[in-house]
Amino acid sequence: MSAAPRTIRFTLNGSAVEATFPPHLSLIELLREQFDLFGARESCGQGLCGCCTVLVDGNAVSSCLYLAAFADGAEILTVEHLARDGRLDPVQQAFIEAGAFQCGFCTPGFVLMTKQLLDDHPDPTDDQIGHYLSGNLCRCGTYPEIIAAVLDASHCLTVSL
Amino acid sequence: MSPFALEEPASLAEALALLDPDDPGARAIAGGTALMLMMKSGLYRPQRLVSLRRLGPALTGIHTAADGGIEIGAMVRLADIERSGKVRAAAPVIAETLLTHSNVRVRNVATLGGNLAHADPHMDLPPVLIALGATVRVTGPAGERSIAIEDLVTGYLETVLANNELITAVSIPPQTGRRATYAKVTARTADDWPALGLAVSVHAEDGVVRDARIAIGAATETARRLPQAEAALAGRAVTDTTLREAGRAAAAEAPVVADHHGSVAYKRVLIEVHLQRALRRVLDGAAR
Repeated sequence: MSAAPRTIRFTLNGSAVEATFPPHLSLIELLREQFDLFGARESCGQGLCGCCTVLVDGNAVSSCLYLAAFADGAEILTVEHLARDGRLDPVQQAFIEAGAFQCGFCTPGFVLMTKQLLDDHPDPTDDQIGHYLSGNLCRCGTYPEIIAAVLDASHCLTVSL
Repeated sequence: MSPFALEEPASLAEALALLDPDDPGARAIAGGTALMLMMKSGLYRPQRLVSLRRLGPALTGIHTAADGGIEIGAMVRLADIERSGKVRAAAPVIAETLLTHSNVRVRNVATLGGNLAHADPHMDLPPVLIALGATVRVTGPAGERSIAIEDLVTGYLETVLANNELITAVSIPPQTGRRATYAKVTARTADDWPALGLAVSVHAEDGVVRDARIAIGAATETARRLPQAEAALAGRAVTDTTLREAGRAAAAEAPVVADHHGSVAYKRVLIEVHLQRALRRVLDGAAR
């Protein structure tokens, strides 16, 4: 059985791109190996820790459990594209101001899940914050600061609307 | 993961033609969340995967029937089921259950058909769909057939489906007069896999149970109904004694298996206690 290479076209961080790869490649492998995007990290490899979170057509996914071939025609956003014109995204800024990380390994995933949370619920309840972020793990244990950052970002985004 | 070929057919007929009943090396892939785990761990090494994502709108719709029942396409993502007003109107227990299922990212990708075909006994939806009396619509070379969810799974990761049959939709009958709830019981952390998943759907009138459907998963090798517990409730007045008898019947009849989420004795206690609590939740609501 031949596993012929596959060529797909998709939008990556706002730019039209093309990639050719073997069909068994996962999306995170494609992003790291062919596009030098290292913000998403494969940590647990099982969709549990959230370190590999990217947005596919606006939906957060675990890129370690996502076939790269399924990105064909999609719009992919990684943490690298959040800052615009030299300004950090309000969620990123809130994480810095709240000190919502220690080693920073999990931070891109938390930031993107927070984006998804605030897209769906601009003024989230404690339950909604817990629900969206329960699939992300911070082994430094900065959860109180992360929740403070989420609330800061929510405040910042709703006030500036 | 070991290499495989990937087909992306544009129609159901094309997809079926690419699957071979005698070739376990070729399988369908929907969202792929479960299959990716199996491939990454080396549990499954396919030669060829047939993607169902281009099969079109026939498998991605949610339709309400005239009688109040609902049909959900097999390729509908769990997140879309969770947010669907139609599903919430027909059977609110489904959205409530999905909130406990895995995490937001997995539900953004995993599909209903994939979830059922995967046949992992720890999944939350099978006991709920069994309690709701749901069926899967299945298409193969010989045509279409309907299978009750409780008859779909034969063992751990095993179903009655031939390798060239595909689930196309799930049909849920009208739930008129019924109330349902799901209890996900985890033994360690809240986001752990369940030691017990327990669903009940009850029709009660004037303090008397007319009909009860009780289904469990995770504690048993496959999701299944508990007929003796159902019989202990049918036609009986809702009292603590009735509920206790149903709990005891359920704990006694369930073919419980031990795993690292709990021993057989522990899971039997969970069944007895959580069935009574779940019944109380739906019956107190129905009494209003």
